[in-house]
Amino acid sequence: MAYLTQPDYVKYICSCGQLKPITSLYFCRHCLKIRCGFCICHEVDSHYCANCLENMPSSEARLKKNRCSSCFDCPSCFHTLSTRATMAQPRQTPQDPAGGDTKVESKQPKKMYYLSCFNCRWTSRDVGIPDQPVASGGWPERTNPFAARVNQLLDYYKAIALQEKQEKIERERKKFTIRGKYITLTDKTGLTGAMARNIAGLPSSDSSCSAIANFVPSQASAEVEELPEDYYTKEVNLNQITSMPQRLASPEWQPVSVSRLHPLAKLLSVKRSQRCRVCDHNLTKPEYNPGSIKFKIELLAYYHVPEVKIISHEPVKAGEKTALLLKLTNPTGHEMQIKLLQPEDLPPPEEKEEPKSIEKSLEKSLNLEKDTSSYKAIEREPQYSVTSRVTSPPTALTLAQRDDAAEYDDDAQHDTTE
Amino acid sequence: MELQDTYYNKSEYVETASGNKVSRQTVLCGSQNIVLHGKVIVQSDAIIRGDLANVKTGRFCIISKGSVIRPPFKKFSKGVAFFPLQMGDHVFVGENTVVNAAVVGSYVYIGKNVVIGRRCVLKDCCMIEDNSVLPAETVVPSFARYSGSPARLITTLPEATPDLMTEFTKSYYQHFLPTTVQ
Repeated sequence: MAYLTQPDYVKYICSCGQLKPITSLYFCRHCLKIRCGFCICHEVDSHYCANCLENMPSSEARLKKNRCSSCFDCPSCFHTLSTRATMAQPRQTPQDPAGGDTKVESKQPKKMYYLSCFNCRWTSRDVGIPDQPVASGGWPERTNPFAARVNQLLDYYKAIALQEKQEKIERERKKFTIRGKYITLTDKTGLTGAMARNIAGLPSSDSSCSAIANFVPSQASAEVEELPEDYYTKEVNLNQITSMPQRLASPEWQPVSVSRLHPLAKLLSVKRSQRCRVCDHNLTKPEYNPGSIKFKIELLAYYHVPEVKIISHEPVKAGEKTALLLKLTNPTGHEMQIKLLQPEDLPPPEEKEEPKSIEKSLEKSLNLEKDTSSYKAIEREPQYSVTSRVTSPPTALTLAQRDDAAEYDDDAQHDTTE
Repeated sequence: MELQDTYYNKSEYVETASGNKVSRQTVLCGSQNIVLHGKVIVQSDAIIRGDLANVKTGRFCIISKGSVIRPPFKKFSKGVAFFPLQMGDHVFVGENTVVNAAVVGSYVYIGKNVVIGRRCVLKDCCMIEDNSVLPAETVVPSFARYSGSPARLITTLPEATPDLMTEFTKSYYQHFLPTTVQ
């Protein structure tokens, strides 16, 4: 933990040339290379709510715009809202059509729930949201006034994207029409409906056409509503006006006054797994359960790379020799040979030939394999400055393997404490 | 950077058979309700309110100078009730910090001058930075690093945090030495 509370004194060179502390590095067992967060693939494993710690399938998360359905954030200070219960004596309101059975019920108090922020004391009553009879859920969902238009635009652009994709497939298909065998290849590997229609020469599905045909582009108008008379003269009460972060937290409404701040559904968190870009093996894979801190796969540099710690150092003076005491730890179960190098002796990043075969390029053109060229990690020369000469011991050091039994050795511990 | 040795006055601290090191300058109310599971360091001027409800800590916890461990209460219609406070293994509580949490998981780092509000739940492997205030009933998920007032998630912790925290608390315990050694 000293790593998290202290500045990064010791940095390691990642195979991509970045300088990083050992805690943020990974070690690919298959390439035998150090990797960092910049040169690996981050993948979303699962969505969960950080407050109620419940998993949500990714399809449902997309549908709910990556927000939890039962937890809310305070619109004023962004802290999580808590549900509070009150005993409410149901009153017989004049507009309520009072029936005989409701009169019987009104005798005993009913438990009603409202949302409250324990940080800034904002409550859902402040904005006139009625109390709920159930503890969680059932809060009124507001619909965006422009929801219909947004959906129309979405459909339109989806249709255009689909159309363009089909045209692209058509063009690709024409290139390879001579070789009939590749069509049978796509037949076997799963054929989309659009492709089938394409091959059969039928027109594409009607729904996308209608979305494009029915679309009405918006009209720009020069007439703008005039500002109210007292716009420049009215005194501004800054306590009533929302701050910029408060407005941007709900982009669909962007409330101007604090009386229109509504609870924000809590954003979901994700569990991530990391993948090596070169060999496509997983570097870390967390367990599915959001409360779990265990990993199924955990190829971290901390478990495979010798750890270097500074024990003591002397202030560096110009023209003088100073001693630096280092502690090297071998975290693996195998003996390790370590040689300290001069900074200029560092091996340069190696150049690699990309294996390229005709089959591979054919596959790529048929979209059977996703294009991974953009995922490739680029290896650079590490950037650091050397301001002093380092005299290191010329011999290689041997570090014995990690001794797991050492900490259970009671005698050894007594020696250190007494 | 390796941890430096911290020295304490041997007459000031009581060491139990299970390796707990508790300062005599602490206020331990209701000590029959306080369970320290071994190799726990409670430093001077710390307050543990065992009289309100049970307080349980795991192994290798460090409770620094001037910090307050106080079980949380909840208001009901018929008065208040106190809830036991559970703390996992390898927890560090910084100086002058007030902990009112209901549950503190394992491998948790709480900085100095922090206030943890009533009935907060700190999951395993999280970190609260120095000078933060965590409002009541907050849930801090695993691998989260919270900071500010009100404390908010600022970044995530590395995957090796359990081992880093284990190493930190163990080396803190090993470097916590009586002055008579020198």
